[in-house]
Amino acid sequence: MQQSIYLLGLNHRTAPVEVRERFALTGQANRDIDSLEGGPIHELLAMSTCNRVEILAVADNAADPVATLITRWADVCQCEPDLLGEHCYVYRGLEAVRHVFTVTASLDSMVVGEPQILGQIKDAYRTAVHEGTSKVILNRLMHKAFSVAKRIRTETGIAQHAVSISYAAVELAKDIFDQLDNRQAMLIGAGEMAELAASHLLSAGLSGLLVSNRTLVRAEELAERFCGKAVPFPEIFDHLHEADIVISSTGAQEPVIRAQDMPPVLKKRKNRPMFFIDIAVPRNIDPDLNNLDNVYLYDIDDLKGIVEGNLAQRREEAELAHRIIDEEVGRFDAWLQALSLKPTIVDLLQHGEDVARKELNKTLKKLDPDLDQEIKQAMETLALSLGRKLYHHPITFLKRRAGEEESLQYFISMTRRMFDLDQDGPSPPTHKPKGSGGGGSE
Amino acid sequence: MNLFSFLDLGIALLYFLGALLFVGGVLGNNAQLKKVSLIFTVLGFGLHTGDLGLKLALTSEFTFTQGRFYFSFLAWTFLLIYLLLWLRLKLQFLALTAAPLALILFTSSMVVNTAELAIPEQLSYLWFGLHVTSLFISIALLAMASGAGICYLFLDKQLKNKTKPGKLRKGFPALSSFDTVNHWAVSIGFPLFTVGALSGFLWARFTWGQMFTWDPKEVLTIITWFLFAYLFHQRLAVGWKGKKPARLATWLFLLSLVSLLIINFFFPTHHSFQS
Repeated sequence: MQQSIYLLGLNHRTAPVEVRERFALTGQANRDIDSLEGGPIHELLAMSTCNRVEILAVADNAADPVATLITRWADVCQCEPDLLGEHCYVYRGLEAVRHVFTVTASLDSMVVGEPQILGQIKDAYRTAVHEGTSKVILNRLMHKAFSVAKRIRTETGIAQHAVSISYAAVELAKDIFDQLDNRQAMLIGAGEMAELAASHLLSAGLSGLLVSNRTLVRAEELAERFCGKAVPFPEIFDHLHEADIVISSTGAQEPVIRAQDMPPVLKKRKNRPMFFIDIAVPRNIDPDLNNLDNVYLYDIDDLKGIVEGNLAQRREEAELAHRIIDEEVGRFDAWLQALSLKPTIVDLLQHGEDVARKELNKTLKKLDPDLDQEIKQAMETLALSLGRKLYHHPITFLKRRAGEEESLQYFISMTRRMFDLDQDGPSPPTHKPKGSGGGGSE
Repeated sequence: MNLFSFLDLGIALLYFLGALLFVGGVLGNNAQLKKVSLIFTVLGFGLHTGDLGLKLALTSEFTFTQGRFYFSFLAWTFLLIYLLLWLRLKLQFLALTAAPLALILFTSSMVVNTAELAIPEQLSYLWFGLHVTSLFISIALLAMASGAGICYLFLDKQLKNKTKPGKLRKGFPALSSFDTVNHWAVSIGFPLFTVGALSGFLWARFTWGQMFTWDPKEVLTIITWFLFAYLFHQRLAVGWKGKKPARLATWLFLLSLVSLLIINFFFPTHHSFQS
């Protein structure tokens, strides 16, 4: 019976969070959904993250497995199937393969290129393997998906550029200071944005934080949370020289720091560089500061400019990534096609013939070039028939399994890997314990 | 072709590959390429060390009095200083300066053949070694500072103009790292330069009876020394950082190059390489 890959899912675009949380699947879901032995569903993998819930299945084409899957999924979550059907998207065959590759490579994420998704999918896969619901096809599909994700990560710049303002600020700080762990930052004004930037900087290793705010209580509160020190607003200039990074976000209409205030501060610092981040509108810091030596000033528009440039770059990189995915989907398709008996027999015999011809040529080169034509002919016949005969038993073995759908697939996949018929080099270590193989001394 | 010519070619080839691959690695932001280039450079340096030692020990015509020795030795000093800075400051990035300069100097040492320094008999090798070694180390430090200075000026300009960080900036060290190189070069380089210049003048006093002879090289050295002293003072006492010392160090290195290459070859001087 013909089998296909199916993918059903909800994500942040098709379903609101109220729906997604009702249909979230826990670790044991694989077994619950795939409960019936001998049913139409052969393999299954379920995964939930905060932005998506998806089920990946291999099932018989004949019985419409989508309806079955939706009903069972709704049953497991004890919700009505209609609601699920309303928000659910379904992919079949190669479309499902493409979707898995896209999701794993983080191209379908809310923030394209974010790295967590790969780990979450790996966990889901591990669970499925553990429960025995992932077999020949899903194993291959998931291994392929992980290697595609890795390939995209290394070959494209999808995850390279900062895409949030506070992260861009941290990146810039790293361009100025070689290490952040002996640097101190000062917050002027305790807005939400400033808080976010400060927490990013602190997690990047910053050693200390000074907080100054018009209402001292708020400053003290924030300072306590970040293990920093509160500075009364009028005393800013007594402490400014201690700060390597200054983040300002007050509601003041007039500049809080002007260029003419700076020379004494810089002198006290012995001209060590300072990085000002002004995220207030109207701006708190005189733009002329940027013209001073060893002072770098970025306002909110500068940071936005960098972030937007990076987002555009990510989109460009995503296009490149989709091209890689197209290519890999094609390869996976070729493998799926070959997973039936006939192409495998052809490939095996071809493999035998290739080896025989290669060795034959090697031997002929070593021999006298004026060798008798008859002998050459005999050698060729010998080599080719050896190549064929050696594969005779494996082929008979496979043919005998032709009636048993499940084990045939397993043995074909095994044979293809054993003789490297898909030419993807030594196969990656599988999830199964390494009992056989290994050393040749047994 | 004797053994040494082969060795020289091998070293030059390693330096060439090192320099080329590192520049490629920086332009393409390719960490792998940079690693390979550093392996080549370090291998070249190892061979070069052996080469210098063997030649001094084995061949009579290759001695302290030969022009080719100086170039080879200077190239070696550049790499030595680079490796020390790399170990100390974790700044492998300066291979961008060190590898190409070592390549140029080393290949010049293979070409410069005829030159023989006119060194008087009563020369004390120790004194002369002091003169050459301290000056070479300080020039090598200046070379690193000027490479770091150019990188500093580039990055500073990008940051001031709010240029969007491109591929090139990805593998770039921070501004403060480049400034640290300048700090080291100035605080160690200047005392060494002083020792080197002074030992030269004192030696001239004992050998020729005259300390200062308006030799073009001596004049240029005096100018360089004053500029260097100014930089030393501004950096350590006034607290100059960043752009100004980066620029001045770059000019100082250019002056030493002029003194080393142009004056030695084209001007009448005690240091002439022309026979």
